[in-house]
Amino acid sequence: MADKRLHFGWFMNFTANEWNTPFGNDGNPWNGKFYIEMAQAMEKACFDYIMIENTLMVAEAYGGNSEVYLKYATMAPKHDPAPLAAIMAAATSKMGVVATMSTTFYPPFLLARLASTLDSIAEGRFGWNIVTSGEDGSAQNFGMDKLTEHDLRYDIADEYVDLVCQLWNSWEEGAVIRDQETNTYADFKKVHAIHFAGKYFKSRGPLNTVRSPQGQPTFVQAGGSPKGRQFAAKYADSIIAVANGVEGMKAYRDDVRARAAAQGRNPDDIKVLFVVSPVLGTTEAEAWARKKAAAEDPAFFEQSLASISSVTDIDFSQFELDEPLPELETNGERGSLDKFAQWGSGKTLRQLVLDAGGTSDSIELVGTPDQVADKIGEAMAEVGGDGFLISTQRVSKQYITEICDGLFPALQRKGLARTEYAHAHLRDTLREF
Amino acid sequence: MTDMFHLGWFLNFVADEWNGNWGDGGRDFTGDFYVEMAKDLERAKFDYVLIEDKLMVSTAYGGTMEHDLKHGVNPKHDPVPLAVLMAAATTRLGVVPTMSTSFYPPFLLARLCSTIDHIARGRFGWNVVTSGEDRSAQNFGMDKLYEHDERYAMASEYLEVVSKLWESWEPDAIERDYMTGTYANYKKVHTIDFEGKYYKSRGPLNTAPSPQYRPTIAQAGASPPGRELAAQHADTIVAPANGVEAMKAYRDDIHARMKANGRDPAHCKLLYLVTPIVADTHEEALAKQERWFNDPLYIEYMLAEISSITEIDFAQFDLDEPVPPDVSTNGERGALESFLARGKGKTLRQIVTGSGLSGNVPFVGTPAEVADEMGAVMDEVGGDGYLITSPVMRLNRRYVTEITDGLVPELQKRGLVRSEYTTTMLRDHLREF
Repeated sequence: MADKRLHFGWFMNFTANEWNTPFGNDGNPWNGKFYIEMAQAMEKACFDYIMIENTLMVAEAYGGNSEVYLKYATMAPKHDPAPLAAIMAAATSKMGVVATMSTTFYPPFLLARLASTLDSIAEGRFGWNIVTSGEDGSAQNFGMDKLTEHDLRYDIADEYVDLVCQLWNSWEEGAVIRDQETNTYADFKKVHAIHFAGKYFKSRGPLNTVRSPQGQPTFVQAGGSPKGRQFAAKYADSIIAVANGVEGMKAYRDDVRARAAAQGRNPDDIKVLFVVSPVLGTTEAEAWARKKAAAEDPAFFEQSLASISSVTDIDFSQFELDEPLPELETNGERGSLDKFAQWGSGKTLRQLVLDAGGTSDSIELVGTPDQVADKIGEAMAEVGGDGFLISTQRVSKQYITEICDGLFPALQRKGLARTEYAHAHLRDTLREF
Repeated sequence: MTDMFHLGWFLNFVADEWNGNWGDGGRDFTGDFYVEMAKDLERAKFDYVLIEDKLMVSTAYGGTMEHDLKHGVNPKHDPVPLAVLMAAATTRLGVVPTMSTSFYPPFLLARLCSTIDHIARGRFGWNVVTSGEDRSAQNFGMDKLYEHDERYAMASEYLEVVSKLWESWEPDAIERDYMTGTYANYKKVHTIDFEGKYYKSRGPLNTAPSPQYRPTIAQAGASPPGRELAAQHADTIVAPANGVEAMKAYRDDIHARMKANGRDPAHCKLLYLVTPIVADTHEEALAKQERWFNDPLYIEYMLAEISSITEIDFAQFDLDEPVPPDVSTNGERGALESFLARGKGKTLRQIVTGSGLSGNVPFVGTPAEVADEMGAVMDEVGGDGYLITSPVMRLNRRYVTEITDGLVPELQKRGLVRSEYTTTMLRDHLREF
C-alpha cells in the first residue's frame, strides 16, 4: 500500500490562552506551562513540529489605538518565542520546535548563536521560522521610523541568511576533538573566521558555539508574495502556506516546487504545510453548530478585522461591512492581504470575514474527526502534498484534546498521519516521506 | 556576631571538565550538566547563579584561536536559553544570564527579560555588561568597540529606555474582566516615545508586566563609570575580591555613590568573586591548590583567558619577569586590575600560580576552616556575600559537591548563610537580610 502519510505542524503564538469561555483556562500562560503541556500532547500525536509565531509590537492599526488588540488579547501580550522554544524542547524528545525570529530586528551574530544554542539543547530538533517582519509599529520600537520596503526586505533577508549560514558552517564537523593526549578540546584549524562583508551586513566570525546537531537549524518560511515565494523556495525545509481551496493550494505548491527546482533544489526537500482550523464535533451537526456560533459572536468580526489590520498596517475599521473592499496595497504581509481580500470576487467585507473564518483557513474542515480526516485525505490526494498546519485564534485544553485525541487517531487509522517518529532531527523527520 | 551573607555562583556555558580526573564532560551542549548543577545550588540555598558571556573566539593570546579553542575558553553558548532551562528546573534559585548593551537591540532585550521573568516566576536577573572586546564588535559588523567611557554613557541611556519599556504596562493593566470580555485595559498601556542620544523606541512593550516588574539587575562595574552605573541600577554587584582593604573601600565607594543617587545602600548586595578550595584535611587542600595552579596547562589556560578578556597578548611577556607597568586595556579594566593587583613586582608566573583566578583572598582548607575564614573576612568587609567560581575555570561535579555539600553546610551551621528560602522572588531574596 502506498504511503499516504502527511506532515503536520501547529502554528501558535505565545499569547493568552482561551480565558473567557466555558472551557477556557486562565489566560495566564506566561510561565510557559500551558504551552509545554500542549507540546507534550502534540508529541504523543506525532506532529512533525510546533511553530511559535511572533510579532514585536502592540498593534494600533485597527481604529488607530490598541484598544481592540488588548481587549481581546489577540495580538498582545505576545511573549518572546525563543525562551518558550527552549523549555518546550527540554520537555519533549522527538518533536520539532520552531521559533520565529525576524531578520529585520536580530543582529545576525546574535541570532546565529541563539539558534545554534537552541539546536544543541533540542538535540537537533530546532527550527527557525524566518520572517522579515511586516509592521511599521515594530520598526518604531527598534528606533526606525518605518520598515524597509517589502521587496528590499527580502533582498536584505537573502544576504542575512547567507551570513548566518556561513556562521553556522564556521565550525567544521569534527572540530571538537576532546583529545586527552594533547589536552585539546577543539582543533583551531577546523574553526574559521568568515570575514563576511556584504551590502547590508558585516561579520568577522567564527561563531563561538559548537556546530549544532543539525549543522544549521531547520528553516521554515511563509512566503506568500512572489518575492517571498522565491525566498522560501531557495531556503525553506518547510513552508507555511495559506491558499484558497484545493486549487489554490495546488497552484501554490506547484509554483514553489517549480521555483525550487529552478534553483537547483530537490522539491521534495520542501514540505509545504497549509494552514487550517478544523472545527470538530461528536456529530456533524454539532460541529457545524459550533462553527456557526463562533461566526455569530459579535466579537468575531472585530477580532478578525483587527487581525488583518495588524499584519497589513491597513485600518479596516474604516470600511463598510456590507460593501466590497476598495483596491488596497500593503508594505506588510502581502500574501495575507491577497488571501483575505479575494480580489475580483466582488464579495462584501462581511462575507470575506466569514470566509476567512477568523483565521487563514486554506480549506474548510468541519465535522466529526472521521469526516475531517477524510476531507484532509481527499484534499491532499488532489494537491499532491505535503500536509497541514493546525491554527486557531485562541487555544484551549479542550481544542488541543479534540485535535490530538480525536482528529489524530482518525488520521492515523486511515494511514494519513505518522504513528511514530523514525528520526532524531527535525530536518530528517520532514524528509522521512 | 557576623551577619548573614549571600551566596551566588558565577559560571560560563562552556564545556564542563573533560580532561581531568573527575570529569568526562564537554560531549554535548544540551545544558544537562548545568541544569543539574542549578538544582544542587538550590539545595544549598544559593541566592542565584550568574552565567557570564562573551561573543567571540579570541585571538588575543599568540595571535591565533589555537589556545582559546584548545583549552575550551570557547565554545561558549548563549546563556539565555540555559537560564530558561535552569529556571524551569528550579523553584527558588535566581537565574542571571549576561546580556550586552552593545549588541542587543533594547526592545529585544526588554522583551526577553520580561518573558523569562514570567517563566522564572520572578527569579530572573540580567547581568548588565557593555562588552569589552573588539573581536565581539567585529562579529557585529563594527571595526572596533566604542571607547570605554562612551560605552558606559550608552549603557546608562540603554537602562533608561529598557526601564521605560518595562514600565510601559501599569502593574494592573491586565484585568481579565469576564463581564466586558476585556483582557487588558489599553488605557493602562502606554507608548514611551523615547528619543535619546543613542536610542529611540516608541513602545509599549508587548509582554505582560512580569512578576518582579523589572528584572533584578546585576552589574560588575569596576571603573568609575562602571561603578556609577552599578550604583544607579544594580540590585547586586559582581565585586572583585582584591583583599580586605580594597573590598571594604570598594563597598564604601558604591554605598556613597548610591546615596548620592538617592538609593538605599541596603538595596544593592555586593558579592565578592572567590574560589574556595576545600578538602578533607588542610594539607590535602593545600596540595590540591599546588597541583592545580602549577600545572603548565593551567598557566597557558589562564594566560589565554586573561588575554581574551583584556585583548592584551600575554604570550609576549616573559613568564619569569614582572608584567610591564604600562599595560592598559579598552576592554575589562576591572579584570586587568584584579589580575595585576595580585602581586606588584611578582613575575607573571607567580601571579598566575600563586593564587588562581581571583584568589587575592585565598580560601583554602577544610570546609570548617574555610567557613571560619569566609565569616571573618565578611565581618571585616561589612557584607554582603560571595560569588563562588571554580579556581580552575572548568567545572566538574566533584567541585560543585565539595561546595554545596561540604562548605555550605559548615557556613549554615555557623548561621552565616541561609538555611531556607523565605521569599520566592530574586530581588526579595537579596533584600531579606
